[in-house]
Amino acid sequence: MSVIAPKFKLSYFIKSLTDNIFWIIVLLTLIGIPIIMIVLIFVDLPVHDGELVNPFLAFTMIFHPELAVPFLKSIIYSDFFKIAAFPGFGFAALLAAATIFAERKLLAKMQLRVGPFYCGKFEGILQLMGDGLKLISKEIIIPAKADKPLFWAAPVLFVATAAAFVALIPVAPGWVVADLDLGLIAVFAVIGFFPIITVISSWSANSKYPFIGGIRALHQMVSFEIPLILSLLGVTILTGTLSLSEIVHAQENYWLIVFLPIGAIVFFISMLAELERIPFDLPEAESEIVAGWLTEFSGMMYGLVQLGSYIKLYAFAGLFVVLFLGGWQGPMVVPPFPEEIITEGIQAGPITVQIAGLPIVSQEMLNGTLWFTLKTVAVIFFILIPRGVFPRIRIDMLLSIGWNKLIALAFVNMFIAVGLIYAGILGPGGIW
Amino acid sequence: MANYSQVMLMFGFAVVAMAPALIISRMISPRKRSNPVKFLPMECGQVPSGAGRTHFMMQYYAFILMFVVFDVMAIFLYAWGATLLELEKSTILPIIAFLGIMFGAMAYALNQSKRRDIW
Repeated sequence: MSVIAPKFKLSYFIKSLTDNIFWIIVLLTLIGIPIIMIVLIFVDLPVHDGELVNPFLAFTMIFHPELAVPFLKSIIYSDFFKIAAFPGFGFAALLAAATIFAERKLLAKMQLRVGPFYCGKFEGILQLMGDGLKLISKEIIIPAKADKPLFWAAPVLFVATAAAFVALIPVAPGWVVADLDLGLIAVFAVIGFFPIITVISSWSANSKYPFIGGIRALHQMVSFEIPLILSLLGVTILTGTLSLSEIVHAQENYWLIVFLPIGAIVFFISMLAELERIPFDLPEAESEIVAGWLTEFSGMMYGLVQLGSYIKLYAFAGLFVVLFLGGWQGPMVVPPFPEEIITEGIQAGPITVQIAGLPIVSQEMLNGTLWFTLKTVAVIFFILIPRGVFPRIRIDMLLSIGWNKLIALAFVNMFIAVGLIYAGILGPGGIW
Repeated sequence: MANYSQVMLMFGFAVVAMAPALIISRMISPRKRSNPVKFLPMECGQVPSGAGRTHFMMQYYAFILMFVVFDVMAIFLYAWGATLLELEKSTILPIIAFLGIMFGAMAYALNQSKRRDIW
């Protein structure tokens, strides 16, 4: 079965190649060109320098980079780029994929295994690509009595909700998809959707293990939402704002973890519970209830849920960095752009090109992104490490931790914050 | 309002970007309907018995009820916390009274939630 081509002949191979090229050309001519025509009729092309961007101009841009830079800038600073690529979905998905690979390697090293090894030349670096191909080519089996529309929608909704969470995290000054005045409240609103989607998927599967797992997930997420919300009250009290960008700006001199270590610890533990990670992975407890609420997901649906949960992990780690570790604040390590780039142009071999508006992104943005990414990766490692260290806890212990201990600690944290303000250490007259 | 719509745009973008993964998977994966056993719910190899959405004892139902109350109260505290820097110091007193009521109610609810016989 695993033999790729038992009757391999070079002539057949070349024939298949030419066949494929033929069909690609035919399909492009019959479908692609009409679609391009329709798009050209209904969509206004970008205007650059009073001139419509046409293929001719695009070709001249290859040889005249000074024409391309403003065009590139207008793309990078557009809303769609923010949503699709940099502070939004693409960045989060990239970090999520890297997290999956790093987690597998890290856990393997902690348990004296090698982990993914054979796929790719170096240390199994292509394992994720192989897994993606495997997942996308596997059959999706849905239980006969399931609620099919809801069951199909649940993984997509899970990824989409995680993406909406990512939209609120500021990565660098001004680089955030949605800069809200009530960003923290919006974060709580988005977090509140995860248990609903979990219960929807587990109910629609119409199977026993997903149902038990879904009920467990509901209990767990719901119990830890209150310590999560209360532990961030101290941050709001000290900074006096609910906007995440403003909270980062307020941490210019001191990170908030210096004043609110208890709140940071409570938030971190609640974060682990909201992410359903060990030691709080009761909803997916594989030794008790198969895979919990993921039991009936197969093929790409499971892949989507996995992608969504790692995007959620990135978003939570980013939120921790924004609230307690100073977000993008850090010493300036990116060297400043040389002045002669703007005044004299770039010397590339024998050619000197003068390009207007060349530093496409500012130095602060590069520096901020660097520091935010470094801190986020550090927090992600702290989230991953407990999986190799701790056992799973019982559900009554989980509820008692959430309702008795963490809530009490969150109130202690709140009174520390109020005390710091009223003692004059922080706030308007203090060292802020 | 434009900012709030961007959250929804991000949500929509993820739906538009991820739905093709399911559609492509459905197109290229094998689909064989030969065996009815294949579409039974997973019960570790046993033939499933009874309905999937079974009734079982939810001993921790009290915590769900508590969440409904205390989640709202926790959010109310933010209205006070966000404006604390502009308020006078004496405004802490009604908040402490509010917290006292909240703590009392929470202690009573936690105490009752331990009584398994009433749930």
